[in-house]
Amino acid sequence: MTTTLATDVLVIGSGAGGSVTAATLVSAGHDVTVVEEGPWIDPDAVEPFSLDEFVLKYRHRGMGSAALGVPPIAYAEGCCVGGSTEVNSGLWHRLPPAFVNEWQREYHIEEFTSDTLDRYAEEIERELSVSHLPGAPPPSSAVLERGATKLGWRSVEFLRVFRHDGNDRGVKQTMARTLLPRAVAAGAKVIPECAVTRLIRQGDRVLGARCRRRNPDGVTEELIIHADHVFVCGGAMQTPALLQRSGIRHQIGVGLKLHPSIKIAAVFPQALDHGDVPMHRVTEFSPNLTIGGSASRQSHIALALADSSTDFSDALANWENIAVYYAAIRSEGSGRVIAVPGLRSPLVSYRLTDGDLSRLARGLIHLGELLLAAGATELYPSLTGGPVVRRPEELVQWWDGATRSRTNLMTIHLTSSIRMSQDPNRAGTDSFGRVWGYQNLRVNDASLLPDAPGVNPQAGIMSIAARNCAQFLSQS
Amino acid sequence: MLWFERQVVDALGSAVGDRQADVRDYVDGTLRLMPESIRAGIVAESLLLGSWPRLQQLFGRYEPHSLDHRIARWEASPIAPIRQYVRALRALVLFAEYEMAGDH
Repeated sequence: MTTTLATDVLVIGSGAGGSVTAATLVSAGHDVTVVEEGPWIDPDAVEPFSLDEFVLKYRHRGMGSAALGVPPIAYAEGCCVGGSTEVNSGLWHRLPPAFVNEWQREYHIEEFTSDTLDRYAEEIERELSVSHLPGAPPPSSAVLERGATKLGWRSVEFLRVFRHDGNDRGVKQTMARTLLPRAVAAGAKVIPECAVTRLIRQGDRVLGARCRRRNPDGVTEELIIHADHVFVCGGAMQTPALLQRSGIRHQIGVGLKLHPSIKIAAVFPQALDHGDVPMHRVTEFSPNLTIGGSASRQSHIALALADSSTDFSDALANWENIAVYYAAIRSEGSGRVIAVPGLRSPLVSYRLTDGDLSRLARGLIHLGELLLAAGATELYPSLTGGPVVRRPEELVQWWDGATRSRTNLMTIHLTSSIRMSQDPNRAGTDSFGRVWGYQNLRVNDASLLPDAPGVNPQAGIMSIAARNCAQFLSQS
Repeated sequence: MLWFERQVVDALGSAVGDRQADVRDYVDGTLRLMPESIRAGIVAESLLLGSWPRLQQLFGRYEPHSLDHRIARWEASPIAPIRQYVRALRALVLFAEYEMAGDH
């Protein structure tokens, strides 16, 4: 059985870009329908970074995705109403002005300045309650600050998308808590567990989308949604894959960017906290190298220790004294997203340059220096066969160990697989996300960023999405 | 999950009884949901690495403990995809065991 719906604006994906799009356009009086492939999960239903969260809120349960290459790079994406905003650490960082200027010049992006983006960012920050953690930082975060101070390096406590109302830990202001309920209250319709199989095209217009919806009774049905305007906001992997499946391929799925990250499990003499992600970042080497902290539940610590391939059973017995930290780089390399006919998931590849590998090795050693300066007694690197380090003079051993075949990398920031530009030969969309060759098809997510921003991209994604919506409203 | 993958999962894990069954279920479900390109690589390696143990099993000569030595060799293999095969399955087992233990 096929059900047919009609809407003015169809938004595909409900993450940072899709939520801004839906909330902005419904407030302006448009009839908006949002389709989301994942389920609608109560934000309080599962513990952050737990197995239940991985199973319910991540694509492929958060454990099976990797960009193929040497080395492969593991990545994770949210797949639920609210997208990756439901599962990330909630760090908030506006796009660095230097990159905005550089991208504007290099990609000839119209009306793209820090002042413009900051205006939208300020509105979103007010809406979402972006703030610092009240009081002293938790021990796992203070480690970064302490190590940086001892070495004379810069570090900052990042803002986060958290609301603190007398609750020490605060409540992360995900899209499922904020913009999506606001959009629904204003009349938007959100359809969870509804995967778009392809867009329906005719000439230079998109007529709508063909979807597969899983109903609450478990029955799957085909759904066709006709729309006057379509915004694809599925993120840097799923958006290019959908466009390619729909026969739209010009500059789509090329130029993928990541922040490849390498980790260390650090043992300290005292117990640390494990319920949250450190909010401090060492910015001494920014924007090309950033040092920060990861989720450090016992299971994550076990995974990080196992990455060194040394016997870690003694260390794990005192897991309360261990936390996981990372060094992330802006990569010179790039990747591709390719929708393969007949396959559910796109093929993703990424080519790290020798310079990237060198930066990662340098990042690992800087991270080691910092953790030892902060009082760590043992460091387990995510290098296969990488020796455990206890003193600064031993860190140099990692330099030779960080080879393509022995480095274990991961990332959670995925951007730039379509890009925006006024030059159709350089990007898949114009300056405001309209797909080249189509009157009413737009992209409004992380795919649009011309390059990796060197920081958590959520703020940049949301600001650009709000700017693009304003331009759409001014045109329509 | 293929027969050989189940042997490797059991060898990598320390859980027993119901918990072991839960870990197997989790790994099985995660393997099923993996991107097809990744899953195909793991299946190919399972068939390759598991061919001799499977033959032994068919002739009643398979010793589950013998797999421990093989896994130790594969983890130190100079061939990166073989190391990554063990790493991928170990990651699933470790994550499931420690999360299911609820000891955090």
